[in-house]
Amino acid sequence: MKIRINNKKLTTGDIAFNTFNYAFLIILSAAMLYPLLNTLAISFNDGMDTVRGGIYLWPRMFSTRNYYIVFHMDTIYSAFVVSVTKTIVIVITNLFFTSMLAYTISRKDYILRKTITVIFVLTMYFNAGLIPNYMLIRDLHMINTFTVYWLPNIISAFNLIVIRTYIKTIPESFIESAKIDGAREFRIFLQIILPLCIPTLATIALFVAVGSWNSWFDTFLYNSAKQNLSTLQYELQKLLASALNAGTRTQSGGGGANAAAQAGSSNVTTPQALRAAITVVAAVPILVVYPFLQRYFINGLAIGGVKE
Amino acid sequence: MITKTLTSPNNSISLQPKRKGFWGTVISQRELVLMSVPILLYKILFSYVPITGWTMAFQNFKPAIRSVWKQKWVGFDNFVKLFTGINGERFIRDIGNTLAQSFITLVLGYVCAIALALLLNEVKSMGFKRVIQNITYMPHFLSWIIVAGLVSTMLAVPSSGGMVNQVLMTLHIIKEPILFLSNPNYFWGVVAGSNLWKELGWNTIIYLAAMTAINPSLYEAADMDGANRFQKMLYITLPGIKATIVVLLIMSIGWILEAGFEIQYFLGNGLVVEKSEIIDIFVLRYGIQMGNYSLATVAGMFKTVVSIILISGANFISGKLGEEKLI
Amino acid sequence: MKRFALILLALVLVLSTAACGSGANTTDNSASTVASSSTPASETSTAAASGSTLPALTPDKPVTISAWLTSSFAAPAADNKITKLLKDKLGVTINYEIITPDNADQKTGVMLAGGEYPDLVGATDLNGRFITGKALIPLDDYLTADKADLLFEHVRPYWNRLATDAGDGAKHIYIFPNYNRYYGEITGGTNYGASGFWIQKALLADQNYPDLSNMTLEKYFKMIEDYKTKYPTIDGQPTIGYEILASTGREWGMTNPPEYLAGAPNNGGVIVDSNNVATIFANKDIAKRYFQFLNQMNAKGLIDRESFTQTYDQYLAKLATGRVLGMYDQRWDFGNANDALVSQKKDERTWVSTMPTYDGIAPYYADRDVMNINQGFGVSVSCKQPDVVVSFLNTMLSEEWQKILNWGIEGEDYSVGADGKFVRSDAQRQQQKDLVWRSSNLLEAFRDLAPKHQGSYSDGNAFSPDTQPSEFFATLSDYDKNFLTSYGKQTWRDFLNQPPENPVYYPCWNITLPDGSDAQMANTQMTDTALQFLPKAILAAPSDFENIWKQYTDAIAKVNTKAIEDVVNQGIQDRIANWGGSK
Repeated sequence: MKIRINNKKLTTGDIAFNTFNYAFLIILSAAMLYPLLNTLAISFNDGMDTVRGGIYLWPRMFSTRNYYIVFHMDTIYSAFVVSVTKTIVIVITNLFFTSMLAYTISRKDYILRKTITVIFVLTMYFNAGLIPNYMLIRDLHMINTFTVYWLPNIISAFNLIVIRTYIKTIPESFIESAKIDGAREFRIFLQIILPLCIPTLATIALFVAVGSWNSWFDTFLYNSAKQNLSTLQYELQKLLASALNAGTRTQSGGGGANAAAQAGSSNVTTPQALRAAITVVAAVPILVVYPFLQRYFINGLAIGGVKE
Repeated sequence: MITKTLTSPNNSISLQPKRKGFWGTVISQRELVLMSVPILLYKILFSYVPITGWTMAFQNFKPAIRSVWKQKWVGFDNFVKLFTGINGERFIRDIGNTLAQSFITLVLGYVCAIALALLLNEVKSMGFKRVIQNITYMPHFLSWIIVAGLVSTMLAVPSSGGMVNQVLMTLHIIKEPILFLSNPNYFWGVVAGSNLWKELGWNTIIYLAAMTAINPSLYEAADMDGANRFQKMLYITLPGIKATIVVLLIMSIGWILEAGFEIQYFLGNGLVVEKSEIIDIFVLRYGIQMGNYSLATVAGMFKTVVSIILISGANFISGKLGEEKLI
Repeated sequence: MKRFALILLALVLVLSTAACGSGANTTDNSASTVASSSTPASETSTAAASGSTLPALTPDKPVTISAWLTSSFAAPAADNKITKLLKDKLGVTINYEIITPDNADQKTGVMLAGGEYPDLVGATDLNGRFITGKALIPLDDYLTADKADLLFEHVRPYWNRLATDAGDGAKHIYIFPNYNRYYGEITGGTNYGASGFWIQKALLADQNYPDLSNMTLEKYFKMIEDYKTKYPTIDGQPTIGYEILASTGREWGMTNPPEYLAGAPNNGGVIVDSNNVATIFANKDIAKRYFQFLNQMNAKGLIDRESFTQTYDQYLAKLATGRVLGMYDQRWDFGNANDALVSQKKDERTWVSTMPTYDGIAPYYADRDVMNINQGFGVSVSCKQPDVVVSFLNTMLSEEWQKILNWGIEGEDYSVGADGKFVRSDAQRQQQKDLVWRSSNLLEAFRDLAPKHQGSYSDGNAFSPDTQPSEFFATLSDYDKNFLTSYGKQTWRDFLNQPPENPVYYPCWNITLPDGSDAQMANTQMTDTALQFLPKAILAAPSDFENIWKQYTDAIAKVNTKAIEDVVNQGIQDRIANWGGSK
């Protein structure tokens, strides 16, 4: 959908502005991009060499050692599968239930509309706390299960508002005519609303997928006992901690520790280099998926601006 | 309602909708009810039921005594411990830090996101626009732990890989490297800057989307009146996305006591602690790490109460000013 | 409509299971609490009835033991050879749940709240949360000569130290100490693992191996200053004079030195006088003197200004560049950096320890290793097979398995020399440094928390390669050999003082400050206050130092330090009264 109509001759002011604009955007992109490229370079650089400093955009001593260490950890393969499955389940359940609920609260005459909206919006602003939430999950027998990954998080109030607003842009006439034809609400939702909502659903899908992909705390808190339920981010976290402390032993603080018997244990890379490799491995899957959804973004988001 | 009355053969035509009362309406809207109330109950179970855990704030909670009823009740003791004395000084200072960091991040984030959206909107080449957008979205996909590490490296001295200092020195803006992470006065800026770097591109999505919804004929009319670029931005684009801005603003105000966590955790240190420590870090150090969950609960309650007051206030004011409301 | 009804049904089912679940669980909880106290008794009677030995572990009766560990080490790889050995020889499979120390607090909290634990719990927190949280079973009944004989012998001479009160008034043994319980001859006086003011070897070589005895702060920093002036860069990067360690959890790097300078051993944040009374030293003159000195050194540009803003791995990375001339640290803490330098063939950039003290006070840096208390494995109340688990731990303490865990497999990881001493080839030593090799060949996480037969074995070999003197000499690089000879010393240990016998109550840093106590809160506040003012004091202009120090001591005055001293002094008295005896 075009915003501007190109039928004007460009004035000098225009040219100046455009040049500035393009230049600024390029510099901005460079600032965004540099740290990422730097991380990529470090990940492909020999760990010991990185320590000397001076790596910017290109590895100086190319090495795949860091990646070798990451991929040798056989737990990340099943963790990857779990992460992918978890993300897919979360996305599907989220999209379906959030949009269904959003549809109901978009109906102006729905009597429970305001109550439901308030109850959901308020949930954005409180959290019961670590222990009460844990107790609930435990009472529901969801500790060490796959269910705990998706069931407690099906509806996010923010996404609800976004989808609700989008649904409000759908002309009433579509719905009215369907009602006249005798369609019930659920059918209207399934056959009319959902297909029309694809842009916004794609966007929300990406929001949700990124959140789910990056999360590790839920694994840590609820599922750390079951190796086969571990997720990619959590495994990478643990790898990083082990690399960092490889030269030390478990000891507690409080003013000093024991003399170690295990001196001299180290690894052939450094924590810094390993962290770079882990970053890349964790981020790449998402970066690969999102271009496919990208074209929906612009059209899919709407918050506010729609008359009641 | 009216439609139904008109088309039923046996009723007289009446323009007054039949009054049905609450339950009557519920029954007639039962499909909608079935589509929403179970989900409501679900949410109540997972979000509201655990709130009973807030009783921990009034107890001396020991996790090993599992039952909520067998704990030792201490009334408002924990509140006193949190808000007064040397702890209280620290906690109140942290509230200040949280508000400051949040506010600066909010304002900076808004202004820059809208500005960038406006600039992107002016780009005519779809290809270039797409590329820039993709690049600016990328930092959003990184987790905060990684971003904290990147920030730490970028702000170090040049010999430790500090790009920012390197650039500033090469451009002769400064002579000696600035120790950004040692100076408390920079910390709020560091937090706002990191948030900006990570979320700027992502935040523009919403505004760009709203801009596409603006009626193009408005621009055509402005062109015919001889308006220049900036006038169009000021009088058409900005007002066009005003509703979006307002609703997002109301939501964000409710989150003013959430200033992040990872950045402060990884980049905070003794030199900057006066300005860097936020409520969540305090809760971690004095609550969780000391096994004092009651303290953590009190802090959480405090945050929630403040958030709800703020968001109700913002919503109300917005309505009174004639703007869009969230609820 | 049908589809919709199915979805609705699903939701309803979920919600109803929730309702039933919460009801059932409360009864479950109380049941398990009741059961736990009776379990050991019933188990003991079964064991007694069956002939008073623990169940033997054989491959015919495979068992799975679930273990929860706080460790930085990763779980072993699936193809780990020792895992396989455990299965083939003992029928034992271990399911690991490993939590990194950073996150252990949160996990411990929810585990205690949840009440369900794996069979083996390997904890390292000094607060003994699992013990006071009644998560572990008392092991006294197993610790007899006819049951867990090796474990019994492990704790017997130290029974009074190890027995802890879980809150019911009686003292039992809950956890087996994982480090520094020595058997036989204590070998390994070759490496030195603990505190010191480290100084670069190249620096000492360049200054012609100056005499390191009667070291003072002034001498130490003069050496650094001279070298830094002579060599302002190392490998193209600026030379750093002195690095201060102050990262999260390691603040002791900044706050401990004053006690050593005053000739006191490592008692954490207190100094104990000749009357066995402990006092905080953070606001005393001995501390002020050290930090004022650092302040002056900073004015000369000898201190790394980034010390206080860097994280631990940035600290290590900096050390690994070889341009840090000196730091106060404990040897085990920078092992990573040391090895990085060695693998880059930069032995001259590694460090030896010096012992500066004030005014000719005798240095007391090296102490005799103290046994860990309340760190190691315990058996949980949820364990359904405690006999098996104790039997397993007992077997692991046998010399045969200790050799496997610490030396490896004969022929693969080491060989036996003609004199019966274990020896390793260069290749065997090198592969120990490879993370990937280790995950397939060592059981590091388990080993970290398991009880150890430290000292020497009955055949005269040292407990592990690190403490076998012949290994030390064989792996000494040429540079190091030369260095040691120039100083007329044989090992790194020789650079330190001879440790006197530890006082009975030593060390004070592991006296428990109970959760929720004023002492615990004051301790955290002390650390926070130190973090807030000391960096400022060190980096400030010398004329500002007095002012900032006053602010610091004023801030300390607001902290309830008496609470800490009271708890510590009480602990000292308890230890003096109770730690004499064995069982």
